[in-house]
Amino acid sequence: MSTLGQVTGLLQLVPVQRAGIGLLLAALGLPVVGVLIVGLDIMPVRFAMMHVALLGIAIGQLVGLDPVLCALVACGLAGAGVAPLARTADSLSGAMGLLMSLAIAAALLMLALSGVNANGAFALLWGSILAVRPVDLGVLGVLAVAVPALFIWRRRDLALLLHDRELALCSGVAVQRLMVLLLVLVAVAVAGAIRLTGALLVDALTLLPALAARRLGRSLGSITVWAIGIGAVVNAAGFLISLAWDLPPGPILVLAAGAFALAAHLIPERRTTSWRVPASPSAPSPH
Amino acid sequence: MDLDVVAGERVALTGTNGSGKTTLLRAVLGLHRQTSGEILVGGRGCRTAAEWAWRRRACAWIPQRPAAGRFPLLARELLASSGAPAEAARAAEQLGVDELADRPLSSLSGGQLQRMHLARAVGCVAAGAGVVLADEPTAALDFAGQEETAEVLSGLPVTLLVVTHDRAMAERCDRVLEMAAGRLREVR
Repeated sequence: MSTLGQVTGLLQLVPVQRAGIGLLLAALGLPVVGVLIVGLDIMPVRFAMMHVALLGIAIGQLVGLDPVLCALVACGLAGAGVAPLARTADSLSGAMGLLMSLAIAAALLMLALSGVNANGAFALLWGSILAVRPVDLGVLGVLAVAVPALFIWRRRDLALLLHDRELALCSGVAVQRLMVLLLVLVAVAVAGAIRLTGALLVDALTLLPALAARRLGRSLGSITVWAIGIGAVVNAAGFLISLAWDLPPGPILVLAAGAFALAAHLIPERRTTSWRVPASPSAPSPH
Repeated sequence: MDLDVVAGERVALTGTNGSGKTTLLRAVLGLHRQTSGEILVGGRGCRTAAEWAWRRRACAWIPQRPAAGRFPLLARELLASSGAPAEAARAAEQLGVDELADRPLSSLSGGQLQRMHLARAVGCVAAGAGVVLADEPTAALDFAGQEETAEVLSGLPVTLLVVTHDRAMAERCDRVLEMAAGRLREVR
């Protein structure tokens, strides 16, 4: 069978179709969340949320509820809980270390108490894109609508907050409330993406497109559009490659997104330099 | 320290580095934690979020070293944050930086950035701010720029509290105060 025939044949299968739809929905919401993570400089939060997600999964297994749903709730609560610490990236990173340690310790304790094999919970760290269920698509669908909608609705406030917290405060932005909302969104998005690539590879869907977009765009609006575009291209390309050559989708998605981010960091140096020359000869040049 | 500024008065604050001039302005805006004492603007203190929101609308701020920012912000977005984008854009035109409106702030020079923040402050005044807190607003400007900025600031119909070492700016103020070791001394 030809490669094209193999891809076409696989795309007839329901789990493969769900995975493809999941990745497309993810491309609409998750890279925008990555823009937030990069803009707020809160990389440790996303890592801490992976640990909190594991705690949620452990609680789900202990009480017999859906583990992914429990992970979503745990991450949402943790996101809201850490918001008061997010005055600076430094104050947040120390608290994140504490949260990570406590979450993983509590998760292991829960798993021991419930008598569940810890490997079952840890399996979710690697995820399985072909195991995406309709409820996971629902979560990704909500994120795909809610995240871009928030960006359109609060674009001015977000642009100011991501640029400079103090300027945002002095421009009437309700910084503390917005931070709670954003951290909950980041936490829920990380938990929601776990099913697609696993917690360990969630960066492929969130951070890597945002890092590439940060290099290519010159405002919050253009960076967001770039991130969504890159996310869609990378997800589609990575998924088709994995189907065509029967390779595991998670690592292929990460490698595709990583290659794009690397290329973006090599290409735009010339463009970046060009912004720094005066816009016109008539512009004042006090220095 | 005690400082009373009458509505509409223009006050220049001078003093050695580290004497607390910038801290004073930042404390008025709630950007610096206030450990004791009381700061009133228009007779109003700040305890609730709503009161801080009012204070920050009432006081336009020109920062000492405008942040280049962690994330790109276009100059026109900075002007729009004043609450009166059209007036801020007009001020930017008057200050000769209107053509830079579509550029990220990180690509502007220190002087251009300072002019943009001055234009934003003019927009804030048009949007209802009655106080301008300017922290060395002419520090990054050439001589002509210093004169121009002093002229624009002193011509605003507001209460002005300006930290400055610039003689052109100080001369346009009603009072000049010197700050040293947390105390204020009337110079003029």
